[in-house]
Amino acid sequence: MSAQLQRLRTAAWLGWQIESNWAAGLTFAVYTLIRPIGTALILGGMYWAVGGAARPQLFAGFYVANAVHEYVARVLVGMGWVVVEEREEYETLRLVYTSPIGMMTYLTGRASVKFGLATFTGLLVLLLGWFVLGVRWEWSTVRWIPLGIAFVLTLGSTLFLGFLVAGLALNLPRIAVSMNEGLSVGLYLLCGVIFPVDLMPHGLREIAFVLPFTYGYEAIRRFLLGEGSSAILGRLSDPQLLGLLALTAAVLSLVAHQGYYVLERRARRTGKLDQTTLF
Amino acid sequence: MTTERIASDLNARGFALDLRAMYARCYVRLVGSVREPAWIIGDAVFPALGMAAFVLLYRALGAPRTLEAVAVIGGVLASFWTNVLWGMGAQLYWEKQQGQLALYFAAPCSRMAILTGMAVGGIVMTSVRALFGIALGFGVFGVRVDPFQVGELIGVFAVTMVALYAMGMVLASLFLLYGREAWHLCNALTEPVYFLSGMYFPLRTLGALGSVMAGVLPLALGIDAMRQVLLGDAARGLLPLRTEVLILIGLGLVLCVLARFSLAYLEALSKREGKLTQRWQ
Repeated sequence: MSAQLQRLRTAAWLGWQIESNWAAGLTFAVYTLIRPIGTALILGGMYWAVGGAARPQLFAGFYVANAVHEYVARVLVGMGWVVVEEREEYETLRLVYTSPIGMMTYLTGRASVKFGLATFTGLLVLLLGWFVLGVRWEWSTVRWIPLGIAFVLTLGSTLFLGFLVAGLALNLPRIAVSMNEGLSVGLYLLCGVIFPVDLMPHGLREIAFVLPFTYGYEAIRRFLLGEGSSAILGRLSDPQLLGLLALTAAVLSLVAHQGYYVLERRARRTGKLDQTTLF
Repeated sequence: MTTERIASDLNARGFALDLRAMYARCYVRLVGSVREPAWIIGDAVFPALGMAAFVLLYRALGAPRTLEAVAVIGGVLASFWTNVLWGMGAQLYWEKQQGQLALYFAAPCSRMAILTGMAVGGIVMTSVRALFGIALGFGVFGVRVDPFQVGELIGVFAVTMVALYAMGMVLASLFLLYGREAWHLCNALTEPVYFLSGMYFPLRTLGALGSVMAGVLPLALGIDAMRQVLLGDAARGLLPLRTEVLILIGLGLVLCVLARFSLAYLEALSKREGKLTQRWQ
């Protein structure tokens, strides 16, 4: 157990060095923050463009979910990127693969840095919303325990989906980076981060309802702001909403965990563990 | 053979060589881009999904339908900015990481020819992929535009692309100096530029900031001009269309000249600082 923790810590330390040692602290912080703040400002710009017709409470729900989606964006894109970076930039993936650390532990350690950065940026996005865009909530009505459960389950699902993304990246060429970005954007659409899932056409809506993030974002809106955004999910009681979140999170985690090993074996079998691709 | 004749012959040969280099780089980009089906999905489908999310946000907020069209037009052009950043700006950084950059600089052709080939290939590739966004926005989400003149649209699109990819060439030369900052800079220039160029909302919403950006970012002005062609007054354009086109032409010219000089200067600088072939930093 202590050896496992040591490996995890080493992977996290290495991840932090790779993430941050290319720049001075302040420069690094600016680069880290500028993208999520840009996205938050785009939402703000759209809200300003609509003007008085927009409903502030509804917008607040979308804005908060957008801040939480920072975890999904950073961890999913990041875990796929780790694979491409190690394989094609530094050409060290084969060394990591053959070392005793184990890919799963290594990826978890590297992901922990992404979690830390996502927390930092997510909080700043919320602060920007609070002070600049008027996205606020009543602290006394926040339901902390269900909110905490929803948050943890959403984060857990993100980590496990990250393993699957890393497995895919092992089999894909450099385009894995765009695919990971795309998956994050796809989830942005499919999980109704910035709109109610009710607005999605049939076919896509059914996909949304098997993803834990859909329930996670709705639960976070409900327990933090007092109301969700979806009329369909609004019919669920609190235990039902959390139950569906837990169920879909468990299924996704299981599939992603097994899926990673299948994909890793495939990459090894097809000789892609140390491929380099550039067009 | 007179000296003038020899010089003219060499110029002609040099021009032919540059054309061939341009074609070759364009060919690699086009062939490489269709070789991996996953690449097509990554470049065509996923960016359009982000645009779809913004259309649905407008719908959820009860915005007028013209704002949905504003978001679709911006979303379609977003893929060109992504291509400029990652396919032009960061390309020389990728080449450096792969150890191929030195070959570009050792080749007898002009570097500008290579970058132009890269740009032409990028425009063709991204235009084809942007069709998916157009189909999604206008087909699936039922967004509509006013009747417009195709020639005018093509003209505005062309001047926008020239200015945009000329900016990409400037970025490419700048990135010669960069190590890992290149990747972070590309990330940093994505969403903030989307915001500053009014990608998903009328540029006029940004007030004075929007006017400043129109003078600096060809993307901002190009999107605004294309919206004016497609939506007329509903686009809430920043400046009259003719003025925007003239500014875009001016920006294109200035950026092309700037790219030529910055490439020469930064190539010399990165050689002096030993960064031209430096990898893994």
